[in-house]
Amino acid sequence: MKRSVIAVIALILVAVFFFTQCVFYVREYQRALVLQLGEPTLPVREPGLNFKLPVIQSVVTLDTRMQSFIIPKNFIRTSDLKALEIDCYACWRIEDPLLFVRTMRSEAVATQRLRDIVYSRITAVIGTKPFNDVVFIIKDDDADAGRVQEGEAGVIAPDMALHNPHEQAARSKMMEDILQQSKEQTKQYGVSIIDVRIKRMDLPNRDAIFKRMNAEREKMANQYRFEGQSENLRIRSEAELERDTIIAVATGEGIRIRGEAEAKAMRIFSEAIAKSPSFYEFSKSLEVYRKAFKDNTKVILSKDDPLLRFFNN
Amino acid sequence: MNWDWDKLQEKRRRQAKNPPPQGGGDGPENPFDGLSPGKYMPKIFKGRFPIWPIFIVLLLIWLASGIFIVNPGEVGVVTQFGKFSREVKDGPHYHLPFPIESALILNTEMVRTIEVGITSETAKRSQSKAEESSMFTGDENIVHMQFSVHYNIENARKFLFNTKDPVVLLAGAAEAAMRDVVGRSKVDSILTIGRNEVQAEALRVLREDILAEYDMGVRVHIVQLLDVQPPTEVEEAFRDVASAREDRERFINQAGAYRNEIVPPAQGNASRIVNAANAYAAQVVRQAEGESQRFLAMVEQFNNAEDITRKRLYLEAMQDVFSSPALEKIILSKDGQGSVLPFLNLDRVSPVRKALPQEQAAPSASMQEPNASFVTPAPQAGRGPSGAGSGIRSGGGSR
Repeated sequence: MKRSVIAVIALILVAVFFFTQCVFYVREYQRALVLQLGEPTLPVREPGLNFKLPVIQSVVTLDTRMQSFIIPKNFIRTSDLKALEIDCYACWRIEDPLLFVRTMRSEAVATQRLRDIVYSRITAVIGTKPFNDVVFIIKDDDADAGRVQEGEAGVIAPDMALHNPHEQAARSKMMEDILQQSKEQTKQYGVSIIDVRIKRMDLPNRDAIFKRMNAEREKMANQYRFEGQSENLRIRSEAELERDTIIAVATGEGIRIRGEAEAKAMRIFSEAIAKSPSFYEFSKSLEVYRKAFKDNTKVILSKDDPLLRFFNN
Repeated sequence: MNWDWDKLQEKRRRQAKNPPPQGGGDGPENPFDGLSPGKYMPKIFKGRFPIWPIFIVLLLIWLASGIFIVNPGEVGVVTQFGKFSREVKDGPHYHLPFPIESALILNTEMVRTIEVGITSETAKRSQSKAEESSMFTGDENIVHMQFSVHYNIENARKFLFNTKDPVVLLAGAAEAAMRDVVGRSKVDSILTIGRNEVQAEALRVLREDILAEYDMGVRVHIVQLLDVQPPTEVEEAFRDVASAREDRERFINQAGAYRNEIVPPAQGNASRIVNAANAYAAQVVRQAEGESQRFLAMVEQFNNAEDITRKRLYLEAMQDVFSSPALEKIILSKDGQGSVLPFLNLDRVSPVRKALPQEQAAPSASMQEPNASFVTPAPQAGRGPSGAGSGIRSGGGSR
């Protein structure tokens, strides 16, 4: 009985030994390399169940998915010695596991080295460009600086950069250069840099920027208020002019109408008088006598006066 | 052993005649007599028979661990020894238990959200965080931004096996896309009317330029701006611009109101003036017409009986004139004409003229006759301080 027990235990131990030392898994997103006495051997192990020799062989597993790392905020100078703060990330993946293991040894080491390489490419490329090629500045006429026109949303489409159509192309080209150069320099490690992108671009010296922003806003505010006031004055004076004109025109019209009427009246009179001028003279004179001599007049009449003709009788 | 049946039967018969030394002949003959079951069963299990069910149960449990259910909207990914085996949809499924196979269930329908940036409240509290979430605009201004990205897992296999930390990368890519768009925009539009366009453009850049290359198995639905503010250091200046804009409107409206105050009344006035003129015109013309009609009527009358009418009119006029008590009348006879010398005292006239400006009187056409005695002095009309009073001073009589 004892021998059987020992036999079974021995069997279990062998099985355990086998599974831990000779069998390993490679996951779908991994590849593995079996190292013999420290040296990687082909073939590259595919996902699934894999076997190796115990003791003398060990396994290195690599994550062959696309990975990313960030290049934290750093000051980078342009060719005209202006500083930028740039915050980037880069995507990469292992293309040649054998080469990778030979040159990089571990993923931690790899990430650091790749970061250094990409960062140096960024610095190098940006260092050859002037500031205005790197940072896109919307250039306006001073009068409208920063102001959004009525009906304009204000986002410039990539192919419609204001004033400097080549700027957008310049910036894309710049990123393209960085990417290509990074790819070149990392090929030797069996990796491929897939993308390098700028997450945030900032100018250092934020205080100066804020100062400028404040000044700009103040100018805009003043501009608005000034516009409002001058428009106010303009409308007022126009209104007053309109009012005066209306009155003047009406007054003139009034005078004209009166004048016409008076002329017409005169015409009517003279037409009537013309029918009998002598009668007019007669009756009008009588009216004059009536009105003028009624009061405050002394009249000396002689008895021979025709008026007193019947007086003597 | 010889398992020939016939020979075994013979052997049995022989053994029946000679009872075997071992077992009894009570039951039927055991053909397998030579083979004792005891010999072929491992001796160690002899006393442990009851343990077997436990192991079987454990085995069943182990096998059962491979059952899994995929709910609607989920996808199951089965791997065999780590290698991708199959994708399964809704329903119950089975995979060979661990360590042979394992299953991962992902919800692919659920829309997930990641937030990028910090709120402006947080930015106010922490300077360093504020610097982290600020973006540089195309017109050299700075804004704080917080936005969210809504996405779902489109392809479970790609999501699991193409990218390490896909969500982190998605956040980074979204930030890069947003920076690109903000860097091409004006700050005013980002803060106000251009928000939708910024979101749409960021989404487009994210989808087309970035994710198309990465092939992460996610689908981005929307990029949404949550909180966009100018930095604390300048927000007052920005607010002032908004109020300045309002001030401008206010000034303009005020002027408009003033205009409405003065122009319509002027128009009313104008109408009034013209109407008055028209009224006057009508009146004048009608008056003239009336007068001329009257005159013409009189002319007709006059022409019909000229002498009589002439005399009549004359006498009527004289009546009117001479019957007025204010008219001083002197009648001289022909004889008297020679004896009475009409004497106009020019000296007396002058005081009247001198007195005139003081007395504000209508200048009277009075002729002086200080000494005439036939004069019946006209009773004073009492018409104010007229020259009549002073002009007829001497000559006696009651005044």
